Amino acid sequence: MKSIKKSIVLATAVLAANAMAWDATPGKPYDGATVKVLSVKSSQFEAHEARLASFEQQTGIKVVYDYVPFPNMKEALTTEMVAGTGDYDVVSVMDQWVPSLQMLLQPITDEVAERNVDLSDFPKAHLRHGQLNGELVGLPVRGHVQLLFYRTDLLKNAGVTAPRTWEEVVSVANAVQNSSDSAGIALPYGKLNGQNLMVWMNLLWGKGGDLFNAEGKPAFNSDAGVAATDMYVGFLRDKKIAPAGSAVFVEQDAVNSFKQGNSAMLPVWWWVRSQLTDPSQSTLNAEQVGFTALPSVAGADRTTFTNTWIFGVTDGSDQKDAAAEFLSWLTDPALERDVLLDPALSEVVSVHMSNLRDSEVNQRWGGMHQAAAEALATAEGMEFGSNWPRVAEILETAISTLASGEDTNTRSVLDKAAAEIASIR
Amino acid sequence: MRERLLPHFLLVPAFLIVLATTIYPLAYSLVTSFREWDLTKQRRPGDFVGLGNYLEAATESAFLNSLWVTTVFVVSSVVLTLVFAFSMALLLRRTGRLHTFTRIILILPFAMSPALIGVSYRFMFNPEFGVLAKGLGQLFPVLEGIPWLADPDLAMGILVATDVWHWTPYMTFMCLGGLASIPKETEEAARVDGASNLRIIFEIVLPQMKGVLLVTAVLKTIFALKMFDQVVTLTGGGPGISTETLAFFIFNVGFKWFDMGYASALAWILTLIMMAISAWYVRMLLSERKVVAA
Repeated sequence: MKSIKKSIVLATAVLAANAMAWDATPGKPYDGATVKVLSVKSSQFEAHEARLASFEQQTGIKVVYDYVPFPNMKEALTTEMVAGTGDYDVVSVMDQWVPSLQMLLQPITDEVAERNVDLSDFPKAHLRHGQLNGELVGLPVRGHVQLLFYRTDLLKNAGVTAPRTWEEVVSVANAVQNSSDSAGIALPYGKLNGQNLMVWMNLLWGKGGDLFNAEGKPAFNSDAGVAATDMYVGFLRDKKIAPAGSAVFVEQDAVNSFKQGNSAMLPVWWWVRSQLTDPSQSTLNAEQVGFTALPSVAGADRTTFTNTWIFGVTDGSDQKDAAAEFLSWLTDPALERDVLLDPALSEVVSVHMSNLRDSEVNQRWGGMHQAAAEALATAEGMEFGSNWPRVAEILETAISTLASGEDTNTRSVLDKAAAEIASIR
Repeated sequence: MRERLLPHFLLVPAFLIVLATTIYPLAYSLVTSFREWDLTKQRRPGDFVGLGNYLEAATESAFLNSLWVTTVFVVSSVVLTLVFAFSMALLLRRTGRLHTFTRIILILPFAMSPALIGVSYRFMFNPEFGVLAKGLGQLFPVLEGIPWLADPDLAMGILVATDVWHWTPYMTFMCLGGLASIPKETEEAARVDGASNLRIIFEIVLPQMKGVLLVTAVLKTIFALKMFDQVVTLTGGGPGISTETLAFFIFNVGFKWFDMGYASALAWILTLIMMAISAWYVRMLLSERKVVAA
């Protein structure tokens, strides 16, 4: 019993030491400053806030968090940008909003370099979202990758293993459908904030296509784009491995379908994992849910569409250096590791390759982070222009149109979408 | 003199509030509609572009689609709501405990939030666990497994149905008020003369209800033109763009794409349409009264 206690104390001390690995600028130059943070509500960020004491002690900077629920976050940031009053010094911004909120953020390239933040530890796909016009305007703090979750029991009964390619997804789904009442795979084809693009993008990249060419012109209506779209829509309309209702599924509908035992596979963000086996909202238990890296198109590298939240300093802030000091602490890998290994928390999010490959982290989370690291190693992420919301709307409408059967000519639908996007870019 | 000025003076606070909350924003949006204002690049409205934003609307397929979708929605919704409301008012005009109880129950759909109605119907038409989708499938096997909201026509039908369900109670009460004002003697006289119920409704009740029905139609048309909540929560404008109403499209342009100049122009187009329809209805109403007075 004593040895167990000793081990716990030792482990806690090691973790605490790791959390304290960050070094403040010597001499407390920002002593007395207050940094106000406007953050989206997230238990991960609340865990950071709970660990502020050591930062405040080392720097003399007081940090005040204001949280806004996700559905209202963009409006809150837009208001802050338009008002330009500098009510907040630091803000959290989702990747696809960064270009359209560019007036809100100021460059922090020099301030980050002065504090020796190791940018090479961030996956490329996450880091690029903090860069704008060649300058660093934010650092990744929260990032998601997609994983393929699957029903271990249904796959076992069907005599198949988790697929590694999208081509295998079809055969595995068919095997499951032949041996159970479940649909093969839950996919979102409906319209909501571009959610039906998130799996499609992986197929587009896997087929060798991209949204835009080097000149910034739409390129998704290429042969590769048509093949990727046919493949994605074909899962529903031709192969019939997705539930019939998924023509209007948004991400949460697909998650619900899996949780209710109606679908055997689910490609979705990794943070959803805890929901899938939560007895208060799912019919599944931990033994029934497995995961693997997102399948690739046969012959192509594994990749993943990513989602990133950056933290940046506002244009109106008069506490830029103190804010940068806070950012360097916030993005310290040791802080992230401390949260990942905190037994009182259930936080899986990591944006540092060192933590994604960390053996202890992987031991706690069953190897999920290693799978994410594999996908992130080759993931490029994508560039969101300031008109991304409109581009996404046009693209998701095209996918929805094809999935609903309103129009079945893939090339013509994509050509029309490309022409529409070209006219606004 | 003081007594003459007092009423005007007392109106000043109300006038100032209306000025600040309605007239100023309307005037500001009118000016903005003639300017370029990309909120991602400018904090304040930019250059004047004349009728540029209005001309863009006239040629943009997405706007023209939303105009068509709105027309289909408004016509279906107004006609069906009026038919159901008038029919239910006829059924409920009698007095008695059951009728009173039914009238109380009837108001419940109207008391629900439109956004919540959209979410509820989305769940109820979910092909995997939706109670309506499953129930219809059980009653009529041919409907089993139909992805209701995935079909453009069915999605529009369900959108119209939720709106009719929501507004019929309120409009029923308006019709009940109108029916109560019709002198009973005319109906009784017709009945004595051997007129059938249908003939009484079409030749005696309906002509006397024309004024009430016109007001009801004006209100319902304006509410239908503003349809937004259920589109967001029920269909998201899809599948494709088959249920993208004008109000939904304007929201996207303004608050998703941040094109405030263009959004202001579109909002003014919607306002002008509503003003024109209202003016037409009012004109009809006034001409009706003149005929009655003559």
